[in-house]
Amino acid sequence: MATLSDEALKQKIEKGHLIETTEEMTEGYKKALIQILLVQADTELMSAPSYYMAARSAPSMNTRLSAYAVIQDELGHAHITYQLLEDLGMDKEYLIYGRKPHEFKNPYGFDQPLETWVELVVANAYFDRAGITLLGDPFENTSYGPWKRSLVKIDKEELFHLRHGEVWMKRLCEAGGQAKEEIQRAADWMFPMGVEWFGMPDHLKRHTAQLEYKLKGKTNDELRQIWLSAVVPLSESCGIHVPAHFDEAQQEYVLDYEFPVDYDPSQKRWKFDSPVSWDQVFERWKKRGPYNEIYVKSIQKHYKDFMAMLNGGN
Amino acid sequence: MLPTTLNESQIWEALKEVEDPEMPISLVDMGMVFDVSVEGANTKIQLGLTATACPAIDFIFYDIRERLKKEGCEDIEIELVWDPPWTKERISEEGRFILSTWGLSV
Ligand SMILES: [Fe+2]
Ligand SMILES: [Fe+2]
Repeated sequence: MATLSDEALKQKIEKGHLIETTEEMTEGYKKALIQILLVQADTELMSAPSYYMAARSAPSMNTRLSAYAVIQDELGHAHITYQLLEDLGMDKEYLIYGRKPHEFKNPYGFDQPLETWVELVVANAYFDRAGITLLGDPFENTSYGPWKRSLVKIDKEELFHLRHGEVWMKRLCEAGGQAKEEIQRAADWMFPMGVEWFGMPDHLKRHTAQLEYKLKGKTNDELRQIWLSAVVPLSESCGIHVPAHFDEAQQEYVLDYEFPVDYDPSQKRWKFDSPVSWDQVFERWKKRGPYNEIYVKSIQKHYKDFMAMLNGGN
Repeated sequence: MLPTTLNESQIWEALKEVEDPEMPISLVDMGMVFDVSVEGANTKIQLGLTATACPAIDFIFYDIRERLKKEGCEDIEIELVWDPPWTKERISEEGRFILSTWGLSV
């Protein structure tokens, strides 16, 4: 561990110094870094079974190819990110195969069932946009060199996922009728999911270790604004209604409902007339969504048996 | 049906504006357009894919049709070519430069 104090490390980072090895880190830096990387790795990994569930309803061979390619990318992103964690002294195998479902740190959105092709493309347009927003920030701002470099390829591949979502959203909305209605239904539950993805607003929580160590550069609200400024115009251009608009006076996007609100996962429905506290939101996240266990188990299922077989055991 | 107003070299020009969905490089610079032929109102394009399981095949077809529709071409046939296969030698000089600035060397 570093001989530098936390303060000295922060000053060095402030001057633009990139951290390359664990020797340069303080305990605090390393802890915050592991925390943020674990969220990313778990999100990438859990997007795979979630997208796969929806991709099974791909309407043609060509669309199946593009959906599976997205899934393969996500597995690649998970792989890169768990490797970064291993380089920090974590056990990659344990992280993927040893943890209990509730220990995974992916956002609540990837604990939900994605059931149709339409839900897949809206997820690509909204959730992958959240991913790009969250990963574009460290790519620009992070003080951890290996992470920054790992994001070059990841961010490029994410652009294809995004395009996959946006182009299909437009095509389906242009078709009108049932296609557009289904997009609207998916947007109704997935848009607020995306809003919540960015966490607590800044007036409740501003100073975090992640910002102080410059692991990332932007606050939750700043990131949420970037996401809204992409997703709201996209939705509007498709003729899809989302509960947010650009406010001329404030020169920013504002939500048309009191944030945060209650969610009923069994109906995939937000209760816009039931505002809740952030403690209640954390409670819901901690309880995990309906597909958390299903997705984690689908990844872990065959690992132990297979390893035993491979090693000649029974 | 409207007769196409474009000749073959104009179609090539238009295709130069259709980008690969995954990279900022045109299908022409990628060397994916093998042949263009115009007969009356019918435009036929022979296309080679960089991989048999090209994830973007649907987008590529869609983008080509959308671009040529803007020129008044309605009757567009896109044919996939596997022999000869696409190889990276088909990428143009300009394409190589674009790819190198995008972080890929070929
Ligand atoms: Fe990803
Ligand atoms: Fe993605």
